[in-house]
Amino acid sequence: MRLDRLDRWLGPSLTLLALVWLWLVYAYIPGARFEGEPGPRAFPVLLGTVLAGLGVVMMLQSLVSARRDREPGETPSLGGREVGLAAGTFGLLILYAFLLERIGFVSATPVVTALAMYGLAKVRRWVLLGSIAVGITFGCWVIFDVLLGTPLPRGSWVIWP
Amino acid sequence: MDALFQGMAAALSVGTVAAVATGVVAGLVFSAIPGLTFSVALALIMPFTFGMDPIPAMALLLGVYSGGMTGGAVSAILLGIPGTPSAAATVLDGHPMARRGDASFALGASVISSAFGGLFSLVVMMLLLEQVADVAIRFGPAEIFALVLFGLSTICGLADKSMVRGLIAGVLGLMVMTIGLDELDGVGRLTFGSIQLQQGVNMLVAMIALFAVPQVISTFVDHGRVERPAITERVRAVFPWRRVAGCWSLLLRSSAIGTVIGSIPGTGGPIASFLAYDHARRFSRRPAEFGTGTIEGVVAPEASNNAVMGGALIPVLSLGIPGDPATAVILGGLLVHGLQPGPMLFQTRLDVIYALYMAIAVSWVIILLVQLVGIRLFVRVLRVPPHVLGVCILVLCGIGSYVIRNAIFDVYLMAIIGLLGYGLQRMRIPLAPVVLGLVLGPTLEQQYRTALILSEGSHQIFFESGVAMVFFALTLLTIGWQVWSSLRTPTEPKPEVT
Repeated sequence: MRLDRLDRWLGPSLTLLALVWLWLVYAYIPGARFEGEPGPRAFPVLLGTVLAGLGVVMMLQSLVSARRDREPGETPSLGGREVGLAAGTFGLLILYAFLLERIGFVSATPVVTALAMYGLAKVRRWVLLGSIAVGITFGCWVIFDVLLGTPLPRGSWVIWP
Repeated sequence: MDALFQGMAAALSVGTVAAVATGVVAGLVFSAIPGLTFSVALALIMPFTFGMDPIPAMALLLGVYSGGMTGGAVSAILLGIPGTPSAAATVLDGHPMARRGDASFALGASVISSAFGGLFSLVVMMLLLEQVADVAIRFGPAEIFALVLFGLSTICGLADKSMVRGLIAGVLGLMVMTIGLDELDGVGRLTFGSIQLQQGVNMLVAMIALFAVPQVISTFVDHGRVERPAITERVRAVFPWRRVAGCWSLLLRSSAIGTVIGSIPGTGGPIASFLAYDHARRFSRRPAEFGTGTIEGVVAPEASNNAVMGGALIPVLSLGIPGDPATAVILGGLLVHGLQPGPMLFQTRLDVIYALYMAIAVSWVIILLVQLVGIRLFVRVLRVPPHVLGVCILVLCGIGSYVIRNAIFDVYLMAIIGLLGYGLQRMRIPLAPVVLGLVLGPTLEQQYRTALILSEGSHQIFFESGVAMVFFALTLLTIGWQVWSSLRTPTEPKPEVT
């Protein structure tokens, strides 16, 4: 996809996002309580307005550049594999947060590390995979819990003695 | 003279030097790990100082401060994740240097620049403490707003390819930081009744997400498609003295920027580092190379953010006004040990003041010694294959996001922001301006509204201040220059800063 074609839908999308933002701001944030004070709503309204304007500018720029028939240069493209890896990374992070809360750091970390090594990093050697999963878990536990004394999640499903 | 010798003797005693060394190592470790900052280290170590004598106690805290300001560059350069918000600008050129095999060079340059900036601001603090404090106290909300607005104008320089995209990125960053409990009115803004969202989006969580997650996804995408072995680190001297000395003018200017910014309460390392980075780029003979791995892109922000330390201590020691959470803990340490900041401290306990100055100088020497060994170990991280390192970074992102506020919610937030950041990157919207918006947004809004409250709604307050007008003029000049430059330059693709 050419960059100017990307901007032709990105610009209006950002303007739409800004309008949704403005609607939410007016619906959920009260205005100023006293005269002369901008209030909590002023800054978000200003930002939404600026973003809406920038979205329009982006769209206009794309129309102008399309007319000039500029060389496309490097254009962004998104393959299925890339989408899958991005979704997989996001999913793993969400899973990690879910498991941290329920089964705690000591159990969640090797599970998620192993899944990441297998699914994202494509490591198929089980010994290496297991070693790295255990190693990362142990290393983080030593650094955060033992040396720095920062509490790590213990898990609500786990009964600790 | 007696006070000077007493201070030196106290600062150079075995106990005090040991305290400084302990503080330096603790600060370095905490700030090198994304998610932990030296402010956390200061808060954790503070109780240990209660049983200590005042000078070793303060030396310990100052060691944490100086070590902490330096350590953030380690993960910024090696992993592309700033260990502290102050190191965010260092990522822009430091990490590209590491990826092409110059990690030790980048780390060495950052340490030297940091030491220079720290010592520069120490000298300023010693010689001009009263004068700088006098100027700093005149900075009210209108002046700070104008200064931060000037800082935001650097967004124009962080998005070389398209100013519109850069501005969009900056606005998005500003918008994210408005979510949460409004500090002035106490009302929830787009929290939708969620207690977690009332705390807002933590800046460090957002930085971890924006810097690390897109990079990790790109690593996995490249793995298998592009045969890329682990980075081969070029053998270089650990401390590139000559190369950094060649940037002596930039070092001086960046250190001056950091010292001045640090002396103004409410600003700090992130603002100073981005201002210095933009200044370096703007006055460079090769501005297009910024973002691809130039040494100036490391020297400027690191000198500046470490010079903040001396500047920040000026209002603390002379007026008892802390400028950020770290100096607030330092102030607490002074009070706990019976040292009341202000003019009387300089009259009655001058030996303590000299001892603190010496302790800071000693801390920089220790930092250089520690990093001499540390850099050779740190760069071994890069021998790990990128796809394996990517998994390690992923786990570190999760844990790092959690330990900031002990909140699982922050891990979810980091995942969402990270995915959005990747999407922005793919749409050629640069992430550096988003980070700048995150950093400067809260201060910008707060100072603007405070100024209007003081003036009962009149914008005249901004125009009555000469200092504010100067910064407004600089802002317009910066934006105008950037617009003119982009109109003048033919439409050749330039390296994009992301």
